[in-house]
Amino acid sequence: MAATSDTSADIEEHEDVWVFVEQHDGEVANVTWELLSKGRDLADERGENLVALVMGENIDETDIPEQCIARGADKVLIADDPVFEPYRSDPYGEQFRHLVETHKPAIALIGGTHTGRDFAGRVAVPTHAGLTADCTELEMEDGRYEMRRPAFGGDALATIICPEHRPQMSTVRPGVFPAAEPDADRDGEIEEVEVVVDEADTMTEVLEREVGDVADITDADVVVAGGMGAEGDFEPLWELADLLDGEVAATRDAVEEGWIEPARQVGQTGKTVRPKLYIAAGISGAIQHLEGMDDSETVIAINTDPNAPIFDNADYGIVGDLHEVIPELIEYFQENEEAIPA
Amino acid sequence: MTDGWNIVVCVKQVPDADDVSIDPETGRLNRSDAEAVMNAPDYNAVEAALELRDEVGGTVTALSMGPPNADAVLRVAVGMGADDGVLLSDPAFGGSDTWPTSLALARAAEELDADVVFGGEETTDSSTGQVPPGIAAHNGWAQLTYVEELESRPEEDKLVAKRDVEGGYERVAAELPVVVAMGFGENDPRPAGLHRKIYAETDFEPETWTAEDLGIEDEVGLAVSPTQVGGMDTADPVPREQEVVDETDELAEQIAEVL
Amino acid sequence: MSETPNYDSEYDAIVVGAGLAGSTAALTMARDGLDVIMIERGPSPGTKNVFGGVLYTPRIRELTDFDDAPKERYVAKKTYSMLSEEGDETSMSIAPSSWREEPHNNSWMVLRADFDEWFAEQAVEAGAMLVTETTVTDLIKENGEVVGVETDRPDGELRAPMVVLAEGANSLVSEAAGLKDRDDRDNVAVSVKEVRKYDREKLEDRFHIDGDAGLAAHYFGDGACGDAVGGGFLYTNKRTVSIGVVYSIEDAAHDKKTPDEVLEEFKQHPAVAPLVRGGRMVEYSAHAIPEGGPDSMPELVHDGAVIVGDAAGLVLNSGVHLEGTNMAVESGYHAGRAVADALAQGRTDEAALASYETNLRDSYVVENLEHYGWFMDTAAEEKEFLFDDLPRALGRAGDAYFKMDNTPKDEHVSEAKSHILDATGGWLGAAKKAWKFRKMLS
Ligand SMILES: Cc1cc2nc3c(=O)[nH]c(=O)nc-3n(C[C@H](O)[C@H](O)[C@H](O)COP(=O)(O)OP(=O)(O)OC[C@H]3O[C@@H](n4cnc5c(N)ncnc54)[C@H](O)[C@@H]3O)c2cc1C
Ligand SMILES: Cc1cc2nc3c(=O)[nH]c(=O)nc-3n(C[C@H](O)[C@H](O)[C@H](O)COP(=O)(O)OP(=O)(O)OC[C@H]3O[C@@H](n4cnc5c(N)ncnc54)[C@H](O)[C@@H]3O)c2cc1C
Ligand SMILES: Nc1ncnc2c1ncn2[C@@H]1O[C@H](COP(=O)(O)O)[C@@H](O)[C@H]1O
Repeated sequence: MAATSDTSADIEEHEDVWVFVEQHDGEVANVTWELLSKGRDLADERGENLVALVMGENIDETDIPEQCIARGADKVLIADDPVFEPYRSDPYGEQFRHLVETHKPAIALIGGTHTGRDFAGRVAVPTHAGLTADCTELEMEDGRYEMRRPAFGGDALATIICPEHRPQMSTVRPGVFPAAEPDADRDGEIEEVEVVVDEADTMTEVLEREVGDVADITDADVVVAGGMGAEGDFEPLWELADLLDGEVAATRDAVEEGWIEPARQVGQTGKTVRPKLYIAAGISGAIQHLEGMDDSETVIAINTDPNAPIFDNADYGIVGDLHEVIPELIEYFQENEEAIPA
Repeated sequence: MTDGWNIVVCVKQVPDADDVSIDPETGRLNRSDAEAVMNAPDYNAVEAALELRDEVGGTVTALSMGPPNADAVLRVAVGMGADDGVLLSDPAFGGSDTWPTSLALARAAEELDADVVFGGEETTDSSTGQVPPGIAAHNGWAQLTYVEELESRPEEDKLVAKRDVEGGYERVAAELPVVVAMGFGENDPRPAGLHRKIYAETDFEPETWTAEDLGIEDEVGLAVSPTQVGGMDTADPVPREQEVVDETDELAEQIAEVL
Repeated sequence: MSETPNYDSEYDAIVVGAGLAGSTAALTMARDGLDVIMIERGPSPGTKNVFGGVLYTPRIRELTDFDDAPKERYVAKKTYSMLSEEGDETSMSIAPSSWREEPHNNSWMVLRADFDEWFAEQAVEAGAMLVTETTVTDLIKENGEVVGVETDRPDGELRAPMVVLAEGANSLVSEAAGLKDRDDRDNVAVSVKEVRKYDREKLEDRFHIDGDAGLAAHYFGDGACGDAVGGGFLYTNKRTVSIGVVYSIEDAAHDKKTPDEVLEEFKQHPAVAPLVRGGRMVEYSAHAIPEGGPDSMPELVHDGAVIVGDAAGLVLNSGVHLEGTNMAVESGYHAGRAVADALAQGRTDEAALASYETNLRDSYVVENLEHYGWFMDTAAEEKEFLFDDLPRALGRAGDAYFKMDNTPKDEHVSEAKSHILDATGGWLGAAKKAWKFRKMLS
């Protein structure tokens, strides 16, 4: 059984803001850069260091540590060993527990991706950390760290505090915070840490792995999103997105149907997007989906059902079949090219 | 293991997400309006548990922690085909966050001598997805989250899962005992048979265990929960124009305006 | 899987549908010591039910502790308005002081999703079993006798000595099993309704109501639902307003407008628009209402089965009255008692159940149906007059009668009269029409 270290007695001893660097095959997930930017703000406010934690194999052959520094980290901790490639919850969890016990961070930020949530849930238990899932706001209030997160599918916002346990941990969904821009002139320290896990102690084995398209829909100014109403045919959406220089996204149900890759899912369990223009085609407007696109500047809805909740959450809407409306939109923009900014 | 696996499936009672409303006068959440239902993703967990039992034999026990009336979700699981149900219910559990919740479920899973523990991907009320990894961590067991498909290897005491990882997938083999969080919507939960449903809702009586039964009376509840809800606000809906136009051209003009 | 018991013959009676009629029957039988199971297709009773609505409560009060029931407002005031397509409104309002006192004329606005759930719960507390999310698809018959039901669930047959069919207006099971003819098209009205939510204070200000008092407003004429025989309604709940139209399906088929469009036009009538402005739509539904009157009532009693409530066509839709809830409850009650009596003698045959039909015929239910049964026919005959000419004539007459200009009032009165007489076809026509419609308020 994993040891449980109760750290509640020594809150004062905990300092620094940590960011878990999520990388797959040497490629860092964009959410990491978003966390470094938010983590930088928090560390500055607390007058502490921002520390990036990288686990993997042959990290020194990559520029990941340097990139972390360029994007805001004061220090990079590296746990380098074949046991950490690829990600597995048990060795990662064990190593993290050790690092928390030896380094005593105050706050740890982790991406709200599948990997990040798998990791966070595992490590929060042995470190007896207060873990807040999927925060949308992280603030220091009167010297206290407050996390805000949607509950009940987004109808409510809960403020979570963690008065007596350190570290405090939060997962944050991709797209919630802007990514930090790299600054090659920044300085930082890189430290290799002792690896405390042995392959023989692991309980899992990765037999096969394929990291797919990690399309980034969170940066696009125009998002054309489709739902079950697309009935398997996303072609018109792709065409319109192309024309408007945007990205295609989808609801969970459409992703589940296999009509489009999971990286393009928007919502509670997908990504958060905040484009200038969000076109929701054949989307009912379930609360879990709205949560991921509510902050879009302008929302356009195309739906055959005049009572679909999406119309209450859209600026402009049309009651109609997307397979007719979208081709008409495409035609309009082909005829009025000047309407599209270069 | 000749007589199959001890399979436990964690199911949670949540307010029906469609029913949770905000009281316009107080601005508070009207949870009481909402029907209590089984967390939608947990249907996938129950289905996966039943499919696994069909494959390797053994029993499926539904497990829930909640107030006495949470037995309703155990009845849902038993209606679908679970053999038995255990309710962890005790005022001492009040105010528990995911840390003590997963502890209680972990101890109960140990007590049930579980080989595989199933859970849903996340709950619709708190949607943390932390409980299954928490159960695994408390017991020092392997975990498999965001699972799309399972393949059992009873002769090796292993379970192999196809997991959804960012935009792709991986296949991972885990030693028993293992905690599995099924991806939401990954299988088609079976409807309860009529007579089984009647049985589940009438004659079936779940067992109830307290914190003391599990020997964790000092390790649960608000006091040991690292996180606390400091407050709850209604999320203000983003104001929208809500204008419905009749012609595609009008819509196109609005789009052009934004661009 | 642990062993699953078989529940065939474990119950004395199966009730199909946990609406008002079904829950009343179940409650009555359970109180009589019978083992009863109610099968409801919705996720909980009431979720699939549509009505205006005013719940009429005389019998419910006897059967339950009605004070605990979830209710919205009692009817403190009724209004009847004639609307013309051009925008005229002529109305009458009734608010007897006695309605403000208990038992409030036994007329309460309720939300069926709340009320039916509570009401079914009363049956459950009396010992009945409720199975939800289960649709009965057919009846099992042996030698012409109903011996059980088939449902959409796996392992879905269940047998019991008696079946009570309380499935509402869309009585597919009774029809499929041949206990009932498919309703003629012209015996069914279509209705659409939406529920809009408002700030409570705003709602009370708008309708001049306070406390638990509420308004039931009825509208007629082609300003209410176009060219069809029917009308519009508006009921105030605590924080919501139910607004809808009910009209004959036969007319609807001739008319190009969809039910949505009919409702939309009604909502835009100048007499109605200010009452429903703003707010947020929280519910939208469409439903059928039987309105064939006493002639289209099916055989109520069969070997092993009885039909109750809307499924039995027990709705009074006379224009002035739209009542089904009280009759659903009344029929469920008499059916429940008849089943209990028959089973006490160990019988389930038609003859042993006959007291249900006799008691229903002796009660106000069938009497009322017969009394008002002529209405729909008459209304259909006089469609043009009632729904087109009259509302317009009333509007013009009112306009003339109260006109402010430089002519003496005498002239206004005679102009007003002439508008009405034009519509009725002279004094003789007016007298004939008055005679024809006398029953409406009798
Ligand atoms: C724990 C949990 C997490 C979830 N997370 C997410 C999430 O992250 N993201 C997410 O999106 N969902 C999420 N969901 C699911 C969510 O609740 C909804 O089920 C989903 O968003 C609905 O997808 P949809 O709008 O595509 O489908 P539907 O609800 O089926 O709606 C399809 C719409 O298309 C319209 N339509 C049909 N045909 C046409 C046509 N030809 N032209 C135009 N319109 C048409 C229909 O009128 C309908 O309104 C989650 C659910 C749970 C329980
Ligand atoms: C728009 C409208 C306005 C109305 N306004 C009023 C009013 O103001 N006052 C009034 O007194 N009456 C009104 N009525 C009539 C009234 O609603 C009905 O008469 C009354 O609800 C009949 O009750 P019931 O129990 O027979 O049927 P229902 O209330 O329709 O109940 C039938 C139940 O059976 C279930 N069911 C159906 N089929 C199956 C199946 N195959 N298997 C399992 N379950 C099934 C349904 O889900 C439902 O719960 C109105 C009706 C409408 C449509
Ligand atoms: N109180 C509980 N009782 C039983 N299972 C639970 C409970 N809370 C969470 N779970 C399980 O853990 C999964 C994830 O829940 P959560 O971590 O709350 O999002 C759920 O789908 C359940 O399977």
